[in-house]
Amino acid sequence: MKIKLPDSIISRQDLASAILELQDYSKWLSHESIKKQLGSKKGGDKPEISATVAEIIRSTEADSSKKITDIVNALQSIQTTSRSINFTLAAPAPLSLKAVLVKWCRANISPDILVSFDFNSNILGGVVVRYGSRIFDWSFRRQILADKVKFSEVLNNV
Amino acid sequence: MNIPNIANIPTIYLQIFVLINVFFIGVLTSIAVRHARAHFKNKKNPEPEKHQVESAHQNLNLSPAMKDKLLQASQAHFQIVLNRAAGELQRDLKATTIQLDKQLNRIGTQMITVEMKRYQTSLEELRKKTEAGIGGAQQEVADHQAEIQTKLDERRTELEAQLTEEIEAKKEQLSRQVDTKLSDAVASFLVETMGHEVDLGAQTSYITKMLDEHKDEIIKGVKGEN
Repeated sequence: MKIKLPDSIISRQDLASAILELQDYSKWLSHESIKKQLGSKKGGDKPEISATVAEIIRSTEADSSKKITDIVNALQSIQTTSRSINFTLAAPAPLSLKAVLVKWCRANISPDILVSFDFNSNILGGVVVRYGSRIFDWSFRRQILADKVKFSEVLNNV
Repeated sequence: MNIPNIANIPTIYLQIFVLINVFFIGVLTSIAVRHARAHFKNKKNPEPEKHQVESAHQNLNLSPAMKDKLLQASQAHFQIVLNRAAGELQRDLKATTIQLDKQLNRIGTQMITVEMKRYQTSLEELRKKTEAGIGGAQQEVADHQAEIQTKLDERRTELEAQLTEEIEAKKEQLSRQVDTKLSDAVASFLVETMGHEVDLGAQTSYITKMLDEHKDEIIKGVKGEN
């Protein structure tokens, strides 16, 4: 089963959380199905699911435990095989910026890519992109340090 | 004392001298012969010796006074000749001694001169050898000094270059450190000033712009990482 990651699942933790929710939901559906077959009127409490998981269920029209299990398997497959990219910003990233960056990554790099965010105020601004062992540093700090001549000239002119 | 050499005596005197010598030698020879005959006769018949002398005197028919006079004259003459001969012999000996002295002096002088020349030659050779040795040693010392000086110059140049390089490197390093410290100071100042109130919303366009600009680079890096 092929499933498209929603933009709300950003990081590997989000994916793991969604998988857990889906597994609980699948288990609950399975129990409810058995109870229905046995004629039991008393049902268990429906587990709370997040908007992200609800969107996945809705988009895949999964109404049975088996389908939910298929979704879980697909998500686990993505969890295993997907690549992850890390953005370090000068401050904790707001959701709007996260959404923009995730959308950009899934549009340009890979639709299954997972994104994680860190913050480090020492970089002053900009972004540091880390993918595996590769690092792309577009932080303000690096730009300041990289152009020392200009920096010195500016200091001298102060 | 200046004694005339035999060779310098005039020839006439020599001739006279030789004749007188011959005369006296003849007289002495006759006397010697007579005495020898008388001697041998006395051995055969010793007693009649006195008779024979007397008979001989009688045979000469000379008076005893005359005979004594002749005998004395002969003795005196013989003494004179002997004295003269002794004097001549003494003069000859003196002349010979002088000649020998001169010859010895000359030979000695020649030997001394030759030996002195040899000695001077040896000294000169030794001096030349010594000078050559000293010159060679001086040249060797000069060469060695030049070699050491060259090595010292090379080493000094090398050390100066190395020192200059190290100074430049140290200067560059210090400059980098100063720049880094300044940058760190400014960065720290900015961090302290801004705190966590960095407006990332304002940076969104910058970040997406940077991502778009380096999209190929990122994709290439991602693919290379895989």
